[in-house]
Amino acid sequence: MIFTTFAYYGLLIPTAILFRIAAPHARPWICVVSGALFFIYFSVTEVGGWFGAACILIFLWEAIISRLYSPRSAWCLVGVAASLCVLGIFKYWNFATGLLSAPFGRNALAWRGAFLPLGVSFFTFEFIHYAVDRYYGRVERGTLGQYLAFIFFFPTLVAGPIKRFQYFGPSVEQPSTDWPADWNRGITRILVGLAKKFAVADLLTSVTDHLNRADIAAASRGALVVWILAYAWKIYFDFSAYSDIAIGSARLFGIRIPENFDWPYARTNITEFWRRWHRSLWRWLVDYVFVPLGGSRGSRQRAYANMLSVMLISGLWHGAGLNFIAWGAWHGTLLVVHRVWTDWRPVREDRTPTLAGQAASWGVTFAAVTLGWALFAMDLPTALFFYRRLILG
Amino acid sequence: MNRLAWIKHVADYLGGAEDLPPDGLSLPASSSLWGLWWGALTIVIVLFCGQASKFIYIDF
Repeated sequence: MIFTTFAYYGLLIPTAILFRIAAPHARPWICVVSGALFFIYFSVTEVGGWFGAACILIFLWEAIISRLYSPRSAWCLVGVAASLCVLGIFKYWNFATGLLSAPFGRNALAWRGAFLPLGVSFFTFEFIHYAVDRYYGRVERGTLGQYLAFIFFFPTLVAGPIKRFQYFGPSVEQPSTDWPADWNRGITRILVGLAKKFAVADLLTSVTDHLNRADIAAASRGALVVWILAYAWKIYFDFSAYSDIAIGSARLFGIRIPENFDWPYARTNITEFWRRWHRSLWRWLVDYVFVPLGGSRGSRQRAYANMLSVMLISGLWHGAGLNFIAWGAWHGTLLVVHRVWTDWRPVREDRTPTLAGQAASWGVTFAAVTLGWALFAMDLPTALFFYRRLILG
Repeated sequence: MNRLAWIKHVADYLGGAEDLPPDGLSLPASSSLWGLWWGALTIVIVLFCGQASKFIYIDF
């Protein structure tokens, strides 16, 4: 729960005040100490226990190796490989070994006590961003304090938004000095986030709890529609509420971090949807997967394949399961279909879309995204059963 | 469409996502009306907070 606990706010408010009254050179270290306390405390109480807390050594490793990075240095590649290894071992070990051992019926390599270090999916992406950008000379090295503050900044440590060092590094020593505006905006954002979480997302959870095979078998088609709509809104309110709290918390420090959402369900095509849903992840995937793969350069077919690859990786990142890969494939396919459509019928700047056309585009986009959530919410066989019941009755 | 954009801007401002109010809305950051807004949000939080569940995107 973390962000809905008194312990979080008991750490946040004193730290933010201390940060703002401290000397500039001390500010990064306030972030480091508070981030380390946050990581250890919530690892012990929420995930992984003391083994989880010991994963703070991953940050120590990152602190050391990141000092070796320089443009075109092999150390950057070592850093990327190490981050992928951390993510692979903790998040995908049992999934991968389970797939490999499926023909034998038993996974002899299964890690029985597997756990996820706090925020591993997010902090590894920030590590990779820094390593890659240092490799290409797109980011200054920064001081050790700045970089540690970047990776230990606790409002964004566990679930983003995924930051960029270029913007965060300087702001940690020179944050905004407009206390009244920052605290007004920050407190408002946190309260709105908590209200969205408790009053909407958690309320919808009572509906989405029924997304299981037994209830799906017994439900009417109308109930299935209500469930999937409830899940669509629940996941939006849940994650955007978290993002509000994280962004509002950072604002108390006088630090601005990237936005994650911009009314994604109001969009009229899938490309616009993805530009406004979990935006920090989308930008990361574009910069560190899509562009290195070739992006939109080369043939159309190559661009389509790149888009599909990005969304497959996005799906796998969201969870170690075949359903998440299928969810990524669904969205990749939607993006490719939209690109094929716009290649075939480019948008004409001199023509204003009609209201009916926009309504139809919105309806198709929202329906496609909502249908896809079944793959996110349920394991693959259950999701396929859900679709069968929804379509065939 | 402009009306919808204005409503979105108001919602973003009340939600803390925008720094400046849209044209036609006078609610400066120092206004005591923010106290009322925070009070209303706090009431909502207190009313619903017993059912807390984990955030989907944390440790998924």
